[in-house]
Amino acid sequence: MPLENAVLTTDNCRYCLMCRHVCPVGHVTRLETLTPHGWGLLISSKQRGLIDWTDSAVDKLYTCADCGTCQSHCVTDQPLPSAIAEARAEVAELGLAPANLYSLNEAISRWGNPYAESEPDAVTGTGEVALFVGDDARYLWPDGLKAALTLLRAVGMDPVLIGAGRNSGYLPSSLGFPETARRLARANLDDLQASQATTLLTLNPGDTYAFRKLYSERLGIDFPANVAIKEVTTLLAEHLGAGTLTLRRAGGGPPHAYVDPAHTVRVADRDAAPRQLLAAVMPAPAVELFWRRERSHPAGSTSLRFANPMIAEHLTYARLGDARESGAQLLFCEDAGTLSALSSKAPRFGLTIRGLYELLAEQLV
Amino acid sequence: MNRNEFRSEMIRSELEDIVGQHFVSVDESDKLVYSTDWSWMPQMWLDRGQPLPTPDYIVHPDSAEQIAEIMDIANKYRIPVVPWGGGSGTQGGALPLFGGILLDTKRMDKIIEIDEVSLKVTAQAGINGEQLEWALHEKGLMLPHYAAASRCATLGGYLAPRGTGTISTKYGKAEDMVLNMQIVLPTGEIIRTAPVPQHAAGPDWPRLFLGAEGTFGVITEATMRLDYLPEARLMRAVLFTDLSKALEAGRLIMTRRLHPFVIRLYDPESTRSQVKKVLGLDYEGAYMVMGFDGDPDIAALEEQKALAICTGLGGQDVGRAPGEAWWEHRYDFYYPPLSLHLPWMYGTTETVTTYDKIEPLYWAVKRAVEEGFPEWDIKFIAHFSHWFHWGVMCYSRFIIEEPPADAQEALQLHNRVWQAAMQAVIDNGGMINEHHGIGLKLGRYMRQQYGDAWPFMLRLKKMIDPNGIMNPGKVGFGF
Repeated sequence: MPLENAVLTTDNCRYCLMCRHVCPVGHVTRLETLTPHGWGLLISSKQRGLIDWTDSAVDKLYTCADCGTCQSHCVTDQPLPSAIAEARAEVAELGLAPANLYSLNEAISRWGNPYAESEPDAVTGTGEVALFVGDDARYLWPDGLKAALTLLRAVGMDPVLIGAGRNSGYLPSSLGFPETARRLARANLDDLQASQATTLLTLNPGDTYAFRKLYSERLGIDFPANVAIKEVTTLLAEHLGAGTLTLRRAGGGPPHAYVDPAHTVRVADRDAAPRQLLAAVMPAPAVELFWRRERSHPAGSTSLRFANPMIAEHLTYARLGDARESGAQLLFCEDAGTLSALSSKAPRFGLTIRGLYELLAEQLV
Repeated sequence: MNRNEFRSEMIRSELEDIVGQHFVSVDESDKLVYSTDWSWMPQMWLDRGQPLPTPDYIVHPDSAEQIAEIMDIANKYRIPVVPWGGGSGTQGGALPLFGGILLDTKRMDKIIEIDEVSLKVTAQAGINGEQLEWALHEKGLMLPHYAAASRCATLGGYLAPRGTGTISTKYGKAEDMVLNMQIVLPTGEIIRTAPVPQHAAGPDWPRLFLGAEGTFGVITEATMRLDYLPEARLMRAVLFTDLSKALEAGRLIMTRRLHPFVIRLYDPESTRSQVKKVLGLDYEGAYMVMGFDGDPDIAALEEQKALAICTGLGGQDVGRAPGEAWWEHRYDFYYPPLSLHLPWMYGTTETVTTYDKIEPLYWAVKRAVEEGFPEWDIKFIAHFSHWFHWGVMCYSRFIIEEPPADAQEALQLHNRVWQAAMQAVIDNGGMINEHHGIGLKLGRYMRQQYGDAWPFMLRLKKMIDPNGIMNPGKVGFGF
């Protein structure tokens, strides 16, 4: 994001309180400083010489979850998350970012992911359809990837896998390392080009957002205009509607709910498809969480899990608490990061977490 | 460690003993964020790179009991307590002018009970307005206080300045929805008002706390009456060439006891500027939006009768679409850059009075502002948005797009414009405020507003808050 746009955005947001009610971090911390208005005011005050980037101020800058909820509820579409990423980049450039993030950035820069010292898989083969795997699906919830591929084959697709083991670029961009993000983005687009695909499938809304918006808005990299982007759940729901995907209904079970993945709010109209798929196989209607659909909050699976693990954990607790309050005992989601975060804390809430893709694959006819 | 540092550490330590270390902040970045609310004065000050007075301690209690203990500390050390909800006040009511303890109530955000039989909700005062509303919607209910600040304000913030919402014309002000409250007094006592407000068991003292803006204590819990979500909401827009006729139409609609949930009448300047900029509707004249809700048949019949009044006075029915556009986008006016924004200078000099006085009052304030400061190319816009059986509120604003760059000069000019507007209001029988509260900005007009009754109010303050710890410098009370 150009610096002048970031300044304009934070100047707009510093005194605006109109998205306070949807900010997940503000909701779990109840602190004025940790809201979009608070972050905007800190950044604009730094520009006016009213504060310095002290350790404490930097910590606060790194508490935004970069989930996009504020922007999605903004009537004038202020790109505050991108402006915060820009401010973080300035802080990181000055050597003032939290120390652990520099080593994390080195790891991502070297391996393409924060989880394993392993190179991303090379692209093999070509085809009209590619599937972006990324790092979360590869390392955090590999069963979901296998199940998604089973489902895609069931509707006659055998996509070329790209970016397997490589982050989309969202993570380093969010943490203030745009150059690393650009390198990952270019590598992913090189994979895409090598695959010769004209349709790129994604496994979650976070990756959809990265390709559709983050690349151009934050990194100045154009996504190829001739390649369509579609989420796997959207594709499967289309096949379900067309009768080219047949699923059998599962047996009885406890009350269940669907958890909207992180970044849902950044992708318009994506929340219906997974619910249609779930409704097709579950014996009873799902209950809904309070923080759902256009107001959905992320679990602790965004960049926050690296920037501020404690608040990320609180976001996860909040999702599980919301689920328990709704009466659900069994939660479904297709996003590897969300599943991983929820699973780590679910037992203490008496909840069971299951991958949506795995459920659907089991119910294939 | 000197005496002041020692005292400061003692206070901090005692506060931490009450709420826990994690919920007391003395961090400079927190202090900066809590140094400004939504009023123009502090925002301008920071915008010009000038630091503001900050709180000494930002404290996040989670119960009335904790607040009571905090009051003990404040009384012991004689330090201010400034209650803070959403920080969305426009008059400086939450500014920590004299330091002390800033009491952020947002951890007190629980819904205690939703009663679907008597249609009431009991909630802690720190709950966010919109989140409360969403929870009520899940049950087909609403708290019909639809303030522009609902997305950021708290329930306590609705009540402390006697807020008014968009649909008040049918459903009343926030204060009208209160059944009972829990309050922590400045002396540390936790009291509850009677379960219901309409009775004859003595004077109506609970209303003392509505409009006190935290100077009489902290509202910690409230039970509010609810309504069913309406089955129908019918919106309509009418265009008048003559503002006077439009005001008369509004008066007749109200005095004939029709029940619009909203009448919003924009003056010609506001129609030309705000309505065009935000809604994209290019009208000349006075644009009026009316809404009727509830049972579809009754709403339609009332709308028809109201429309007949309007057209009988020369209003042009411009149909549903412009009215629906307003309803859909009614809060867009508050999002930057559509909203009034720095470096502009602006102020909301709103007022309320009876129907016989409203038109002369509008013109008097407009003249005072426009003619009093010709060198500043000042703009005056107004709409009439909260209608009662006896009168109407005039939401007027002044705007200077190129104010002085120097912060002190800008503040002085701001005060002069306010002075001109408020004097015109008082001279023409208006109240200095209808729903934004008094805060810091209007305190200096309270003596003039209340005349002989003002010393009585000062004695009340002294009795309720003997050490003067609560939100000093606000609502015209002393330090």
